[in-house]
Amino acid sequence: MDFKLSLQSETIRSVYPEAPVAVEPTMSVADVIVLMQTEKVAAVLVCDDDRLVGVFTERDVLRVLAERVDLSQPIRAEMSADPVTVNDDSTVGAAIGRMAEGGYRHLPIVSSIRPTEATGMVDVRGVMRYLVEHFPSTIYNLSPKSSRTAAEREGA
Amino acid sequence: MLVCPACGADDLIEGVDQCDHCEQPLTDQFIRLPNSSLEADLLRDRVRDLPAHEPLVLGPDATVGEALKKMVAGGVGCLLIVVDKALVGIFSERDALLRLGVQGVDLHDKPVVKYMTPNPAVVSGGDKIAYALQRMDVGGYRHLPVMEGDRPVNVISIRDILRYVTEHDRTATV
Repeated sequence: MDFKLSLQSETIRSVYPEAPVAVEPTMSVADVIVLMQTEKVAAVLVCDDDRLVGVFTERDVLRVLAERVDLSQPIRAEMSADPVTVNDDSTVGAAIGRMAEGGYRHLPIVSSIRPTEATGMVDVRGVMRYLVEHFPSTIYNLSPKSSRTAAEREGA
Repeated sequence: MLVCPACGADDLIEGVDQCDHCEQPLTDQFIRLPNSSLEADLLRDRVRDLPAHEPLVLGPDATVGEALKKMVAGGVGCLLIVVDKALVGIFSERDALLRLGVQGVDLHDKPVVKYMTPNPAVVSGGDKIAYALQRMDVGGYRHLPVMEGDRPVNVISIRDILRYVTEHDRTATV
């Protein structure tokens, strides 16, 4: 399928959304960081009884470490509240546009029927994989630089 | 138009059995260069066509605290560690999470070189954007230093590439 066409027709299910790691708003910042390390995730959803209230990402980790924030306080105090989301029926193109526009690398996916219920997370790495997979396979074999030296046929 | 995958020549006549320029056989790889599509742009444009960001750099004697504060103040996800302007490592948000973790608040006085990723993957300005994207995908990186010799001159991020994709594909922004 044409790449352009697939960007606007395929849904975000194609960009490998991950089952999100969710935490309660009352969990401590320290516990959340440890959870992110053990689960090897770059972002967690903060959910209050299925209702998405915020996200906490690597960028937030960097900030709390830099500011030496008290890590025993609840994650609610340090999360990014009301995150930008995508619907589970959004297209790949829409998700990429939203990520590029806001500089987000993670977008919680919410149910199109119940917009407060998070069902997954789009990670920029999934988007990257999607783009790479939609290249012609020969790109994998391309040398990074063109090694073209002679503009003229030899002997011509 | 036919493109040679080996040398990048793009003025080949469709149907030729080998590249006029590098003499690579082409019989099993007929790659059409699509006219004006995102795919063609990714194959054509180079890393130097992406916006330039002056990389944030620190010397080898910098501390974790300096690094963290500099990244937060600069709003960036990574900084480069250089010795005599030559790149020796990268310290990213990922390193902050995985290598510092909750102890990070107490490690502000430690040298950042202990926690950086040494010898990171890099690209050069003449590399194709498609190649940079593939490097990021394979290594799971979100940043790549752009080198001129052993000196980093720019840092490109996955965000730059996403923006490039949206700019070169109007439908993505709808």
